[in-house]
Amino acid sequence: MNGHHTHDTMEHDNETSRLDRRDFLKLAGFTFAGVALTGCEQARVEKAIPYLIKPEEITPGKASWYASTCAGCNAGCGILVKNRDGRPIKIEGNPDHPISRGGLCAIGQAQVLGLYDSQRLQGPQINGATSDWPTLDRTIHARLREVRAGNKSVRFLSGTMTSPTTLALLKRFLSSFKDGKHVVYDPISRSAILEAHARTHGIRALPHYRFDRAEVIVGLEADFLGTWISPVEFTAAYGSGRTLEGNPPKCSYHVQIESRLSLTGGRSDKRYAISPSERVPLLEALLALLEGKSQSAKLPHFSFLNDLAGRLNSARGTSLVVCGSNDVASQILTNAINELLGNYGKTLDMQSPSYQHQSNDNALQTLLTEIRGGKVGALFVHGVNPVYDLPKGREIGELLSRLPLVVSFAERVDETAQHAGFVCPEPHPLSSWRDTEAVAGVVSMTQPALAPLENTRSLMESLSEWLGNRASAHELMQQEWRKSVFPRQSAEKDLAAFWNRSVHDGFAAVAPRPHRTEKYDSRPVQNVASPETGADSFELVLYPKVSMGDGRHAHNAWLQEVPDPITKITWDNYAILSEAAAKKLGVLSGDIVRLSFTDPTAASGIELELPTWIQPGQKDSVVAVALGYGRKGTDRFANIGPRWFEGKPSVGPGGLVGVNAAPALQFLNGQLLYERGGVRIERTGRHQTLACTQTYHSIDTPPLLAQGSESRRPYVQYATLAAYAEDRAAGGGPKHESRSMWPEQHEYKGAHWGMMVDLNACTGCAACVVSCQAENNIPVVGKDEVHRNRELHWIRIDRYFVENDGELDVAHQPMMCQHCANAPCETVCPVLATVHSEEGLNQQVYNRCVGTRYCANNCPYKIRRFNWFDYLHEDAKQNMVLNPDVTVRSRGVMEKCSLCVQRIQEQKIEAKKNGKKVADGAIKTACQQSCPAQAIVFGDMNDADSFVSKRIADARRFNLLADLETRPSVGYMTMVRNRTNKSDETPHG
Amino acid sequence: MKQGNVITVLLLVGLALTALTLIQAVSQSYALPGNNIGYEPVQLIAYPHRLHAGELGIDCKFCHTGAETSRTAGVPSANVCMDCHRFVTAPFNQVRAEDEAATKENRKPRRIVSPELQKLYSALGLDSTLQRSATAEETRIVWMKVHSLPDFAYFDHRAHVNASVDCQTCHGEVQTMERVRQVSDLTMGWCVNCHRSSNARGVKGKPVKASTDCVTCHY
Repeated sequence: MNGHHTHDTMEHDNETSRLDRRDFLKLAGFTFAGVALTGCEQARVEKAIPYLIKPEEITPGKASWYASTCAGCNAGCGILVKNRDGRPIKIEGNPDHPISRGGLCAIGQAQVLGLYDSQRLQGPQINGATSDWPTLDRTIHARLREVRAGNKSVRFLSGTMTSPTTLALLKRFLSSFKDGKHVVYDPISRSAILEAHARTHGIRALPHYRFDRAEVIVGLEADFLGTWISPVEFTAAYGSGRTLEGNPPKCSYHVQIESRLSLTGGRSDKRYAISPSERVPLLEALLALLEGKSQSAKLPHFSFLNDLAGRLNSARGTSLVVCGSNDVASQILTNAINELLGNYGKTLDMQSPSYQHQSNDNALQTLLTEIRGGKVGALFVHGVNPVYDLPKGREIGELLSRLPLVVSFAERVDETAQHAGFVCPEPHPLSSWRDTEAVAGVVSMTQPALAPLENTRSLMESLSEWLGNRASAHELMQQEWRKSVFPRQSAEKDLAAFWNRSVHDGFAAVAPRPHRTEKYDSRPVQNVASPETGADSFELVLYPKVSMGDGRHAHNAWLQEVPDPITKITWDNYAILSEAAAKKLGVLSGDIVRLSFTDPTAASGIELELPTWIQPGQKDSVVAVALGYGRKGTDRFANIGPRWFEGKPSVGPGGLVGVNAAPALQFLNGQLLYERGGVRIERTGRHQTLACTQTYHSIDTPPLLAQGSESRRPYVQYATLAAYAEDRAAGGGPKHESRSMWPEQHEYKGAHWGMMVDLNACTGCAACVVSCQAENNIPVVGKDEVHRNRELHWIRIDRYFVENDGELDVAHQPMMCQHCANAPCETVCPVLATVHSEEGLNQQVYNRCVGTRYCANNCPYKIRRFNWFDYLHEDAKQNMVLNPDVTVRSRGVMEKCSLCVQRIQEQKIEAKKNGKKVADGAIKTACQQSCPAQAIVFGDMNDADSFVSKRIADARRFNLLADLETRPSVGYMTMVRNRTNKSDETPHG
Repeated sequence: MKQGNVITVLLLVGLALTALTLIQAVSQSYALPGNNIGYEPVQLIAYPHRLHAGELGIDCKFCHTGAETSRTAGVPSANVCMDCHRFVTAPFNQVRAEDEAATKENRKPRRIVSPELQKLYSALGLDSTLQRSATAEETRIVWMKVHSLPDFAYFDHRAHVNASVDCQTCHGEVQTMERVRQVSDLTMGWCVNCHRSSNARGVKGKPVKASTDCVTCHY
């Protein structure tokens, strides 16, 4: 074959280099000799290096699991860390954890990659130079003495802190100064909710929202299934209210009112687009309706409120209105509505409130004033990045440079740390002791799953050192738990037993600290200040993306490559415009626009240049931009992905991934506001490619090939609740007649593995995508390769839009290999690299594959992925995250979902060893384990009692493209929306 | 034309030589390229399986503890060796000879430490009297892996040992080997043949289900 190829080339190049038959033979002879010689070569010498003294609990080749707590955001979800041969390789949700209940989001799943980031600081730094801890401590002690002598203020600026031990230490540390204060802010601030409760309920607290108890849910700009406060917990709770079980089927009613289409909005039963300036009038109108002060909404476009008010009124105590805006006026009105509906104490828990956000934007502003006034002698910055995530960051940076002592605890020299004289890096959360009380009464434990890879020291240890009483984090935690956690429980009498059980379980359920709430005070409602209304320009909305949050994980390549659940774009942020607005401006998706606005506090106008993205469901007068992009250091991704002559970098024109939108934030009425009016948009004439995954791997029939109705095949089955209550099979397409030409040949005598995905539960959050990536060694390919339709995620979440009378519905459909009984891929493989197993799996054998790609061509579901290159880790240290149980695929082979066959094998062998059958539920695929909504079920379809068999027997079940007679082992379940009109609609691609 | 003849002759000679070398290589080891049968690497410590597993009759799983519970049988860690070699520091006949000599010469017998075992002690940072010396550092013991499978093949010891397959079925009569040698070719055809025949005949009279699906070994 090689020879043939040379021959072809030879004839082409006839004129330039004359190679004749004999020369060819010569070449061929050498090739043959070469092959023969390589064949005789001895195999690679491998070595086996055992432990010198093996720890008793470790068996090489077997995974150990450690219960811990996710530190990806403030939500405090419980995790289980999987260790193989001493290193963490995978994170799963802890099914026993009371907050997260077994799910874990995409950000949580990706934490394990961050552990092996070689760009994390290797040790402490003084003035930008690597130092050692004793030197650093000596210098800081000396500086702190100066601060004490000079009677200067000490400020500790941090993100929300939920660790009881750290908070106690910090209190002691700050009280050792004459004027020491702890200032808390979050880049995605929820300060207004706390502020509103301080005014209406006399307590500055964040309620613990109980979506599981709510029958009517109103989300106002609150993306509670995607990014708001505690999305994993809320997704599980939300799903438990929409199980469709019983008669009438259990299904909450969810209305989402928002300016941009969010993940939560896509799930809602009714969705309305408003602009931020309409929010307060809308809340006022709703409050007036509920109070009975008005009979119908005055503003005509708020007429939907009449129906909504009626629904809320009939669900007193079982409804929940949440508002995601950081505007105090809106939050006070929201509190008034919830109070009026009697929801406090029921769907909003103030007795055991949430500590997941404690930001205080007023205090932050005071601090900035103090810094400007030269009052601050020492500033400690932990967990936040004010130079990056606050407006006028550059000015803050300059101010920091002038302070006598700035100490940062950043993991790398970020935007803020470069202005700090001292950087005291903390160990990665997977290699440190920590505790977290995210919700009152649930104290979660973080234990190290491996020793720190860098010369780091945790904040607790640093504080204890500077307090003159150095102890390890482990000791400090035990001291604090003896004092403040152990006495709050009565289940264990012995402290050591309590500690051990908490480490084992990953959390301890204790009594919440008493919280005193005052009687509801209705006065503040009258004092609601009316916000400024936008002129004849755009209103800008800044939001966190599901995968990127506030940008603290911007160095995580897995998260950069997760397609956004709604826009399906990777590796960028962009200015989202509605179709009408884009038409008015004359721009198309990808055209770079300039957003400009004047800020009264800034000397000159502010500008942002971003590519446009046209998005249905967006309010026409709104432009939305994601925060968390344009982070310092993301230029490292310029060369991620294969390097070849046509390769393009994964970074934008500025050399970074995306653009930082934080300069557009503003402080208004004491709060950090994520919206602003008066934004002008103009074209720049330039264009930027956006790598969107929705436009390819389409399973739509091309119009030329489609015959009649087949151009609109039903992919996602969809029914209204009213129709479903009458007919459980509502929404199902016409039953097609089986006219198969396939022989009945598969018997499946043993197990027959199958999977069911409940589209009614799926929110499209992409947790499964990253979980699968971590489990199955799926490489990151980079923006350019994604744009060339070559991304390798084994799960693609298809997103469908359907517009009904101006209403936009969104459906998400996770697509993985369907493991067809009559698999079209199997019949076309010329080398039998993809064949059927006796348990119904469609096997892909990498070492047999020669890369013809016939199988991918013939797959109607488009779930096969081809390795066009060897996609190496951008950072070689990240090879440590590879799962040793899954082959690392090389260039030129096809790959696809294996239904986590390595997990199936593990459980089968264990069951066989014990002489038992594999128990139902013992095998959990990576996607299933991670799903916060528990939408995915896997099991043996030959076992009539298995969960998956019960789902298959459910009337909601359908198979995708059933008319092709592929008989897939993966099925889906009809999505049901709580609507009254019985007409069945089926969304199309 | 003449020049062409010379080249052809040279080429043919080259081909013949290559073929001869290849045939010789194959016939010597009866193995195709990539097959490592007969591999018998020299180890850092000359550990005799013949003595331990053969003469002394120590069960394989006493040291290779992972065989029943894990994918890999595992090379024992030094602390397993020290269970016995804390007391046994040299071959029995050497110790007895020294004892006899000491009785004859009317003196206390000298402590004898075999040079191979001294390597084990040194790795643990111990001197010949098994005292931790202040200067010695612990060093890892690097064994040459005899039985290697390619990275795309996943073999699981648990499944085989628990199905009563003898260690010797694949590893040969290790209890007779001074130095371990690969005796089976560990190729896919060899694996599959055994799976097929086990399905037909069972293992030690017990019926077994040895799957021949690709995903049994490749994932």
